[in-house]
Amino acid sequence: MALQNVCGLQHPPLFPEWSAPLSQSFMPEESTHLFGGGVQHGGAFSARLPGRGALSPLEFYMPISEYLTQSPINFGQISLSSAPKNFLNNNIDIIHPSLPCISLPPPTPCSISPSVPLPFTLSHGTTTLGFAFQGGVIAAADTRSSCAGQVACPNAPKVLPIHSHLVGTTSGTSADCALWKRILSRELRLYQLRHHRRLSTGGAAKLLSHMLHPFKGTELCVAATLCGWDGGGEKDENHAITQVTESDSSSQSTAVCKSKSQQVVTARSGMCGPRVVYVCSDGLRLQGELFSVGSGSPYAYSILDSGVHWGMSAQEAACVAREAVYRATHRDAYSGNNVDLYHVTAEGWRRRERENLKDEYYREKERERKRVAERKNEKKGV
Amino acid sequence: MALLDVSGYKYRPRPNSASQFGFKQTHFLDRSIHYSFGTKCQEFAVPVGVDPSTFLKSCSCEDGVSIDLNHGTTTLAFKFRHGVIVAVDSRASAGKYIASQDVDKVIEINPYLLGTMSGSAADCQYWERLLAKECRLYKLRNKERISVSAASKLLCNMMLGYRGMGLSMGSMICGWDKQGPGLYYVDDNGTRLSGRMFSTGCGNSFAYGIVDSGYREDMTVEEAYELGRRGIAHATHRDAYSGGVVNLYHMQEDGWIKVCKEDVSELIHRYKKGMF
Repeated sequence: MALQNVCGLQHPPLFPEWSAPLSQSFMPEESTHLFGGGVQHGGAFSARLPGRGALSPLEFYMPISEYLTQSPINFGQISLSSAPKNFLNNNIDIIHPSLPCISLPPPTPCSISPSVPLPFTLSHGTTTLGFAFQGGVIAAADTRSSCAGQVACPNAPKVLPIHSHLVGTTSGTSADCALWKRILSRELRLYQLRHHRRLSTGGAAKLLSHMLHPFKGTELCVAATLCGWDGGGEKDENHAITQVTESDSSSQSTAVCKSKSQQVVTARSGMCGPRVVYVCSDGLRLQGELFSVGSGSPYAYSILDSGVHWGMSAQEAACVAREAVYRATHRDAYSGNNVDLYHVTAEGWRRRERENLKDEYYREKERERKRVAERKNEKKGV
Repeated sequence: MALLDVSGYKYRPRPNSASQFGFKQTHFLDRSIHYSFGTKCQEFAVPVGVDPSTFLKSCSCEDGVSIDLNHGTTTLAFKFRHGVIVAVDSRASAGKYIASQDVDKVIEINPYLLGTMSGSAADCQYWERLLAKECRLYKLRNKERISVSAASKLLCNMMLGYRGMGLSMGSMICGWDKQGPGLYYVDDNGTRLSGRMFSTGCGNSFAYGIVDSGYREDMTVEEAYELGRRGIAHATHRDAYSGGVVNLYHMQEDGWIKVCKEDVSELIHRYKKGMF
């Protein structure tokens, strides 16, 4: 499929389950629709009417609007007559809100998920965070994957690298996040092959946001923070590095502060450098410097707010991120086990060793004990 | 009402006169020699036929009118070597309207007892004043101050009497009694927990992060003040329903002192100076 696009081949798709089963005529896929700018991509979805033949692989089938009127809490409930054909042989039933009336005879259902009410209101049971500073971007997350109040997997990776300079943290439904990360990686790779440069973090976020837009109103639940380093060519990277060294060596006096902040501002808002963007399946896309997502995020936010500043060193940044995830896992039941830490710089992402937070808890207790004993001795000595 | 109790006046209500203290028939005992715990009778006359619990259930369901009873505030308290630190914000919100930025969320029950308030302002103020009355009566009857444990138990029993009827109160009773510094969390469900550190209100998770991270058993007094201020400041920074000023109290062996009253925006500006 990807190869078809790249080669620009024009022939009917080889795998019939990826196209409309009832369409009689096949139209060649317009390869220009699948990459690059978000607006085009978003347009591709609503422009495709079912009658027009071969759909791109990212087109999904829409059941009749009865699904929309049912309570969204009743998970997976569909009526037999309107069961859509499944895409990629999984059980996701998807609707496109902008096409409520589809004049297609109902396709044969592959597999119907039985109506299962949600065990509890879905909240993003995790703690993930991402923030930018002068030395790059830090992305950190816990590793507990929970289901219905039990820990399904204590070692789930929630920070997924998308390409060499972009890393995404995931929160929400694990299956949705994994799928959409893979789709995003594929699209970004295609972009890179076609245009000989990497798509910026903002562009990738826009792409993901527009890909998720048709599923607004469904139970798809993806809240991702894309953390990446945008660097064009070598020239841009050098420019960024010189700005960084200038801001590092400037003194803290108020006279120089203003110029420092000016430099810092240009480094931040420039076309290259660290970038953090939050994308949500509701359609929200926010660019910022610090984000934390999930049920443990309030606990992490307060620590990040007090510890993160632009001029911090990589060591400090890693410390603050670890501490924030640790505190969140300490108080939140849905976060726990280990912490994953990724650091994205101009050279790409680097992954720190996964640390078990249980050890951290005992280490901290030990440190506390020692410190109290030390202070007692000091007092006795004095 | 209080004078009746103290003087041990024997009051027998007439069978056909409406009792102003509720539809339960009660008798006033001679109280001058007893320890009296809890209110002897229901404080409110609940009209016959009205069931507050089902009414509230209908209000909080998904479709239709939903009345969200949220504890819109941030309060925190923690015990350390030199006593108990109590820090609260001062914002009162009515839905999305900020009713006041300068509300007193700590009630000074007596010079050795403090109660914080979160949840419905009316409920908190009323019940804690009632608790203050009971504590004073205890002192008058028994010639010694009530312990923190007993005071929190009184409040807890009052809450249990109206369980399920829609009270909304999350409070921390802090004091210093013969056993040392005491800290109890009392809830409108009747939860009563003793602990080293609590934070209540919808901004509590933000405060927990800061206080967990900065807490040391052997902190100095200044460090403890700073931790309390930081906890509230960061919570008000991220939570929409908390704000105003930080009211900081320190419960010491010989009573509580009010440490400071600082505007949170100035505090945040101070903490984040390196970031702008």
